Amino acid sequence: MIEFDRLSKRYGDLLAVRELSLTVRGGEVYALLGANGAGKTTALRCLATLLRPTSGAARIAGFDAAREPLEVRRRLGFLAASMGLYQRLTARELLRYFARLNGMDDDAAAPRVEEMVEAFGLGEFADRLCGKLSTGQRQRVSIARAVVHDPPALVLDEPTLGLDVLSSESIFRFIADARGRGRAVIFSTHQMSEVELLADRVGIIAGGRLVAEGTADDIVARTGEHNLARAFLRIVREAA
Amino acid sequence: MNLRLVVTVLAKELRETLRDRRTLFMMIVIPTLLYPGLMVVLEQLTLFGQRRLAQQPAAVAVRGADPALAAFLRRDTALRVLPPESASMAAVRRRHAEAAIVVGASAPETTVATAAIAGTDSVRVLYDPSYERSQRAHDVAAGALRAWNDSLLAQRLSARGLPPDFARPLAVADSSVATAQETGAYALGRFLPVLLILMTLLGAFYPAIDLAAGEKERGTLETLLTAPVPAGEIVAGKFAAVALIGMAAAAANLLSMLLTFQSGVFKFARAAHVQFTLPWSTALLVMVGLIPLAVLFSALFLGIAVRSQSFKEAQNALTPVQLASTLPILVTMLPGIEFNAALAAVPVVGIAMMFRELMGGSARLVPSLVAFGTTIVYAGLALHFAARAFGREDVLFGGGASTAPRGGWRERTAAWRAGPRRVPLPAEAFVFVAAIALLYFHAGTALQARFGERGLLYSEWGLLFVPAVALVLIGPFDARRTLALRRPSARGLAGALLVALGGIPLGWALGWAQVQALHLEMPKEMVGALQKLVTATDLPRFLWLLLLVAVTPAFCEEAVFRGVLFQSLAREQRMWRTVALTALVFGAFHLSGETAIRFLPTAWIGVLMGIVVWRTRSIFASMLMHFVNNGMAVVVVSLPALRRLALSDAGEPDWLLVAAAPLALAAGLWLLPRRTPLPDDVVPEPDSREAAEEAGRVEEAR
Repeated sequence: MIEFDRLSKRYGDLLAVRELSLTVRGGEVYALLGANGAGKTTALRCLATLLRPTSGAARIAGFDAAREPLEVRRRLGFLAASMGLYQRLTARELLRYFARLNGMDDDAAAPRVEEMVEAFGLGEFADRLCGKLSTGQRQRVSIARAVVHDPPALVLDEPTLGLDVLSSESIFRFIADARGRGRAVIFSTHQMSEVELLADRVGIIAGGRLVAEGTADDIVARTGEHNLARAFLRIVREAA
Repeated sequence: MNLRLVVTVLAKELRETLRDRRTLFMMIVIPTLLYPGLMVVLEQLTLFGQRRLAQQPAAVAVRGADPALAAFLRRDTALRVLPPESASMAAVRRRHAEAAIVVGASAPETTVATAAIAGTDSVRVLYDPSYERSQRAHDVAAGALRAWNDSLLAQRLSARGLPPDFARPLAVADSSVATAQETGAYALGRFLPVLLILMTLLGAFYPAIDLAAGEKERGTLETLLTAPVPAGEIVAGKFAAVALIGMAAAAANLLSMLLTFQSGVFKFARAAHVQFTLPWSTALLVMVGLIPLAVLFSALFLGIAVRSQSFKEAQNALTPVQLASTLPILVTMLPGIEFNAALAAVPVVGIAMMFRELMGGSARLVPSLVAFGTTIVYAGLALHFAARAFGREDVLFGGGASTAPRGGWRERTAAWRAGPRRVPLPAEAFVFVAAIALLYFHAGTALQARFGERGLLYSEWGLLFVPAVALVLIGPFDARRTLALRRPSARGLAGALLVALGGIPLGWALGWAQVQALHLEMPKEMVGALQKLVTATDLPRFLWLLLLVAVTPAFCEEAVFRGVLFQSLAREQRMWRTVALTALVFGAFHLSGETAIRFLPTAWIGVLMGIVVWRTRSIFASMLMHFVNNGMAVVVVSLPALRRLALSDAGEPDWLLVAAAPLALAAGLWLLPRRTPLPDDVVPEPDSREAAEEAGRVEEAR
C-alpha cells in the first residue's frame, strides 16, 4: 500500500534522505525511528506530496507521489505534529471543509461529519472554535480531520508530540483501530514505548539512510541489547 | 479549474477572516467610524481654535504712526496696541508682540502722510509666519491699515473735489461658473482616489498575510496541501478572498465618506459653497475600476506573504511594498498632471488618475481603457507570481536544513570566508550593490562636487572598482569566475562589437520614443552640463574624456554589474532572469532625480551587454561594449559633422541609422558563441517534474 523506492531528497548541499526503500502493507503499522534531523519528516513529507523527491519515488496504492499527487492525496490521511487546525473554525466546520476538499458534496459530507463527531467523541465541543479547545480535544479533531475521507493509508508525523498520557492513549487506540480495519499506517516517533506497543515493524533511520528494519524484537535480538532504546542507540552510533 | 473547490476555499477563508477582529477593525471600524469621526472632530477643533483666536484682540506694537492713525488703531477692538518699544523684529521674534506696525522705514517722524499731504508712506508689518497668533495679528493689522488707507484716499479725493471712485477705475469681482456640486466633485477627485486606493491596500494587507504566512506559521498550510486540491484552486480561493476583502474595505470607506460629506456636517463646505456628492453611476464605475486594482494588490501581497515563513516576516516584507504602492498615487494630487495614455499605463497611478477624472466628471475613454487594461495585465502577472510560489516546496517549507553559522560576528565572518561557493550568492551580491550604490550616491556626489571631473574618476575607481575587487579577494570567491575574467574569442569580440553598434542607435530611438510618449523634456541645464562634459575641443581633452567617460565606466561599472551581480545571478543558470535583473539594477543605478529618462536606454544597453556576457562568459566583451557605447557619445558630441549624421538638434535619431541597426544587432547575436558549460556550474534544484525525472534517470544510470 505504502512504498518508498530508493527515495532521495537533497536540500542544496545536504542530502536529507538517501536511497530510502521500504513498504507498508494494508493492516500493518510501521514505525519510523530516528534522531532529530535524521530525515523522518522529510521522507514522510515526500510521501504526503509536500516535497518532491530528488530521485526515486514514494507511492501509495501504486500512485507516484511526485507524478500523481492528487491520486495519492485521495488515498492519504496525513497528521502533522502541528495538528493543522484552523483556529477560527469550529470542529464541525473544519470537518465539513475537509470533507468538501476531498470531493464530497454537501449531502455526502453532512452525515460523514456527524459520523466522525460520534466516532471521536467530539459532540460536546463540535461547535466550539478550534482555537478554544484543549490540546487533547484538538488532537481528536485533528485525527477526525485526517480520516474524514476514509483513506486507506495513514501518515502520522510524530503524532504524540507534546501530548499527555491520556491524549496519547487516544492516538494509540486510533492506530490500533486503523490496523484492524486494514489501513496501512506509517508513523514517525522518538518514543520507544510507542513503537513496542503499536508497530508491527520498525525502520531506524540515521543520516537519511535506513540503517535497520524488522520487528522490534528482531532489532533488539540482532544487536544483543536488552531493549529497543539501547538497540536504537547502538545502531545509530554505529551508523554515524 | 475546479470552481467548486475554489468556492469552498473562498467561503472558508471569508468565514475565518470575518471572525478575525483585527481584519474587521481595519475593514469596518476604521473606514465607517474612525475616519469620518476624526474629520468631524478635526473640523470642530479647528473652528474652536479659530473662534478662540478671534475672541482675543491681536497684540500689535505700533511705531512711527501719526496721532490720527494711532487713534484709529486704538479704536479697533480687534487690536490691542502695544507701546513703540515692542515694535521691533526682536520683540516679535521673542513674542513680546504678536505683530508690529512700523511706519516710515528710515525716519518715521518726518515722513508721515496725512490726508492733506500727497505722497506715500512706507508701512511695514512685522510678523512671524511660524506662529499662528502672529499670522492672525498680521491679518488684523493689515486689514486695519487697508481701512486707514481707504479713508485717507477718500479724504484726499474729496479735498480735490473728485468722486470717491476716481481712483478705482475697475471693480473686479470673481464669479465661479461651476456649481457647488462640480466644485465638490473636483475636490473629491483630488483626495478620494488616494484614500480609496489606500483603503484597498490596507484592507488586503492583513488578510494576505494571515491567509499565506499566517497559515504557514500555524502549520495549517501543510495539512491543506495534503488534501486532493490542486495548488491553483487553493491560490484562486485565497486570492479571491483577499481581493473581496480589499474591495469591501474600499467600498465601506467610499460609502462612509460620501454619506458623511453629503450629510452636510462640514461647516467649511457650506461656507465655501461646496457640495460633496458623487453620482451613483460614478461610484459604480469607480468600484468596477477597483476590481483589477484589488486583484493586483491581493495577488502581489499574497505572493510575497507566502514566500515569508512567519506573520512577522511577511509584515516586514510587505510594509515597503505597501509604501511603494502608495507613493505613486500622490501624483493624482499634483497640479498640472494630464491623464494621457502613457501615464495611464503606469501601475496604480493609471487607475488613480482614472478615478480622479471620473470623480471630476470627465474621464477620457482611451486613457481610461489603457489604465483598466494594463492594470488587468499587471494583476495577471501578480497572480502568476503568487501561484508559482504555492507550487514551490522551498517557498512552503523554507530552504530545508539551515547551515547558517552561529556565534559572534568574528565566527560568522570566518565561517563566511570559509564557505565553499565560488561566486557570491544572489543575496550577497544584492547587498553589495545596494551598499555601493548608497556609498556612490553620498560619497560620489561629494567627490564630484569637490573635484569636478577628477571626482568622477575617483568615485568610479574608488567606490565601484576597488570595492568589487576587494569583495572578491576578501570573500570565499574565485576571482576569475566572479569577475568573468575569461579571454573572449575573436568571434565573440566581433559579435559584441556588432551588438553594440546595432544596439546604440536603437537605444537612442528608445530614449526618443520615451520622451515623445511621455512628453518629457531633458532639463536644459542638465543637457548643457552633459554636453559640456563630453565635448572635446582638442586632442588631449578628447583623450581625457575617453578615459573619464568611456574607459573608466567600462572597467568599474562592469566589474560591479556584469561581474559580481551578473555572475552571482547566473549561478542558477537562468539566462533571461539574470540578464533582466542585472539590466534593471544597472538602469536604476543610473537614475537620479532629473534623469529618470535615462533608465530605459541604459537598461536596454544593459540587456545587450548581459546577453553578450552570458554567451561569451567574458567581462572583456561587455567592457568593449560599454567603452564603445560611452565613447560614441564623446565622439558624436565632439564632432558636429558626425553628430548631424546621427542625431538632430532635438535629439531625434537618424531613422535610416535606426532602420539599419537591427541588421548589425542580428549579425552580432549570430556571431556570438554558444555559452560553454563549465564543470563546476551550480546545478539548480529540480523544481519541475521533468527535472525530477531527469534527476531520477541520472541516479538510475549511476
